[in-house]
Amino acid sequence: MQTASRARLAAARPWILTAVRLGLAAVWIIAGGLKVGDLGASGRAVNAYELMPYDAARVVGAVQPFLEIALGLLLLIGLAVRLSAGISALLLLIFIAGIVSAWARGLSIDCGCFSSGGALGEGQTPQYLSEIARDVGFLILAGALLWQPRTRYSLDGKLMGDLA
Amino acid sequence: MSKGTKERAAAKRVVQQQLAAERRRAVTLWTSVAVVAVLLIAGLIGWGVLAGQQNDNADNLTVPAGAVDDGTAFPVGSGPVNVDVYEDFMCPICHEFEQQSGDTLKQLAADDKATIRYHPIAILDRASNGTQYSTRASAASAAAFVGGKFTEYHDVLYANQPEEGSNGLDNAKLIELGKSVGLTDAKFADAINNKTYWAWATKATDTASERSVSSTPTVMINGKKVSEANGAPPTPATLTTAVASAAG
Repeated sequence: MQTASRARLAAARPWILTAVRLGLAAVWIIAGGLKVGDLGASGRAVNAYELMPYDAARVVGAVQPFLEIALGLLLLIGLAVRLSAGISALLLLIFIAGIVSAWARGLSIDCGCFSSGGALGEGQTPQYLSEIARDVGFLILAGALLWQPRTRYSLDGKLMGDLA
Repeated sequence: MSKGTKERAAAKRVVQQQLAAERRRAVTLWTSVAVVAVLLIAGLIGWGVLAGQQNDNADNLTVPAGAVDDGTAFPVGSGPVNVDVYEDFMCPICHEFEQQSGDTLKQLAADDKATIRYHPIAILDRASNGTQYSTRASAASAAAFVGGKFTEYHDVLYANQPEEGSNGLDNAKLIELGKSVGLTDAKFADAINNKTYWAWATKATDTASERSVSSTPTVMINGKKVSEANGAPPTPATLTTAVASAAG
């Protein structure tokens, strides 16, 4: 009995991880896609964290959406999943650190995670805790892939010649 | 099976395993190289697109004649204290601020106590379903300034403020409102239809961001941000006191 359920879990695992990979891919593509149309606003969102001079924030704000979309596409096709997941985790850690620092400094901003963010108006309260919780959720997805990068329907699988 | 055949089969298996491991290592290496290359290229594209947009903007920049503060603001009055007001025509709190303190600002200018420098910036373009109302309205107000009717047009735009998240006022309506305050010259309508001051609106917005204006309305008196203790925009009393103390 014990072994039978364990075997079922082992059989299901690549499928679960495939869903995780595609989910994380969707997160990046959506996050980047929502920002790529207005790079000026994306730069202002980075600038609102007050962590770097405006000219640097503008470049970071312009580079970030393209990077997010590219990372999403790489996860979608499943190329070097362990590395892509590792870079995802690194980016998420940087984002979480940014939000924590904005919170600690008492800034009143939107994280700009799925929007062009920026400062909040009067009467709007920052949602730092839920923003951090969400990013930690994504971090767990990235962590799962870092631990078990073999999934179905991935280019990695095709190239390695297993689990195709 | 003889002992020799068994050993040969085992040896063959070991070789196959080694080849497979070798292949996996090569695949891991080259896919990793590909991932890094793709991400670098994506980042460079982002940088390139930004640089392109900045170049276009510099090429298309028309600074409204008479604009002050590096050509990014429209002055009202000529008093000794500079009151910089950063507003977005789509921002509802700016509308509230105007209703509450607009007359006080005008009075300070009329009494020659302060120069009110209006910075119509565009940080809420995302709130008009892609019609970029903030940029259009900012650019239209620049055309109104050139036509000599900035204050009137500024007020009529707030009186007719569209709801945040709607399409905003269309260009025909922007032109019509201009006519209602005396901007009947074809130059005004042309400036709106030809996006004459769009690049200027972006420059005004960038200049504000550089000064860490990250929300609207932001009021600065002689370069210092002024707001209520809870972060709300300054009330008429706060403005009057702050201008008086800045004047010394």
